[in-house]
Amino acid sequence: MSRQRVWDLPTRLFHWALAGGIVAAVVTGKIGGDLIEWHGRSGLFILGLVIFRIVWGFVGSPTARFANFIRGPRAIKAYLKGEWQGIGHNPLGALAVLALLTLTAAQVFSGLFANDDITFQGPLAGLLSKEASDQSRGLHSLVFYGLLGIVGLHLAAIAFYTRVKKESLLKPMLTGWKASDPVLAKAAPVEHHHSPLRSAIAFTVAALIASTTVYAASGGLLPAEPPPPPAAVAAPAW
Amino acid sequence: MKHSIKPLVAALAVVVSASALAQQAPKPETLIKWRQSVYQVVAWNSARIKANVEGTYNKEEVIRAANSTAAIASSGLGALYAPGTEQGKGWHDTTVKPELFTDGKRVGELAGNFVKEANELAKVAASGDQAAVKVQFGKLQGTCKACHDDFKKKD
Repeated sequence: MSRQRVWDLPTRLFHWALAGGIVAAVVTGKIGGDLIEWHGRSGLFILGLVIFRIVWGFVGSPTARFANFIRGPRAIKAYLKGEWQGIGHNPLGALAVLALLTLTAAQVFSGLFANDDITFQGPLAGLLSKEASDQSRGLHSLVFYGLLGIVGLHLAAIAFYTRVKKESLLKPMLTGWKASDPVLAKAAPVEHHHSPLRSAIAFTVAALIASTTVYAASGGLLPAEPPPPPAAVAAPAW
Repeated sequence: MKHSIKPLVAALAVVVSASALAQQAPKPETLIKWRQSVYQVVAWNSARIKANVEGTYNKEEVIRAANSTAAIASSGLGALYAPGTEQGKGWHDTTVKPELFTDGKRVGELAGNFVKEANELAKVAASGDQAAVKVQFGKLQGTCKACHDDFKKKD
């Protein structure tokens, strides 16, 4: 059976790592207690993924590139009429991708500056006043619902495609391939002609930018803590 | 000598009437200030326990902090949520949700958990095992979160 390339490996890895990261962040955030440390770690992990995906949206393979899948209202209308044909994100789905990335970024960003009013605070919370950090926490609780909504929409769209349009979106996201459609094969504007070396360089650049951002967000660029005071001025006995 | 007792009586009268005033219910603003202050002390204790379980462990420091929190937990904090303190300003605007004043059963349950885990932490701290304190401290923080989730406004 002939088949057609849809998603490259980094895009698929990103997708499943993001899904896992979000589940981990929600679970550890809701349970709290000891696990709040893991909530913070999963947030930094998610930040790395989002940054990676944004860079990959410029240097990745054709279906991963924003320039290829973000379309105007006319394309969206055509898609709604059933006239759109292509490989990868459809014009309406592209909006969901943008919303998901934006909200996830906002969620991580607000988390970096938030505090939980117990003993945990985001790695950059110290840069703000307590009041501003509290406001960031408020935003963090608010954006959560938006994220919940867009993830629900995403799952609903997959269910719609599976049940109504009889097309599995899950399989291409797992294997990278979908069964070839003779119409689409002609219509597909995207080709995968990049050399492995070029892909490897693009991946390395995206991974470097992502990990540098995570390092900065985890407080790595903040001035080092002052050395502990000498023992002579340790806490008095009372 | 007889005339010298008059100022004494007058002073006594002032003291008695002052204490009668003091026995009036504290103002809502005062109650809100007290409860906000209490949680600041708990925050201080929690911060030093956290520093100890994550860094160099100082048993005495942890015992003092844990005992302090256990004592505060059992001090009758519910009295600081008297009717009339649903809204208002202490050191800052209160962040309590109105549900705290209507859902007594749930509040009692959560407060009971806080007391229980705080007492347990004081007990574990006395034994001085850093790993055990870390676990129990996590449980105590869980009781903070449970109550915050239900009864504390998040801006």
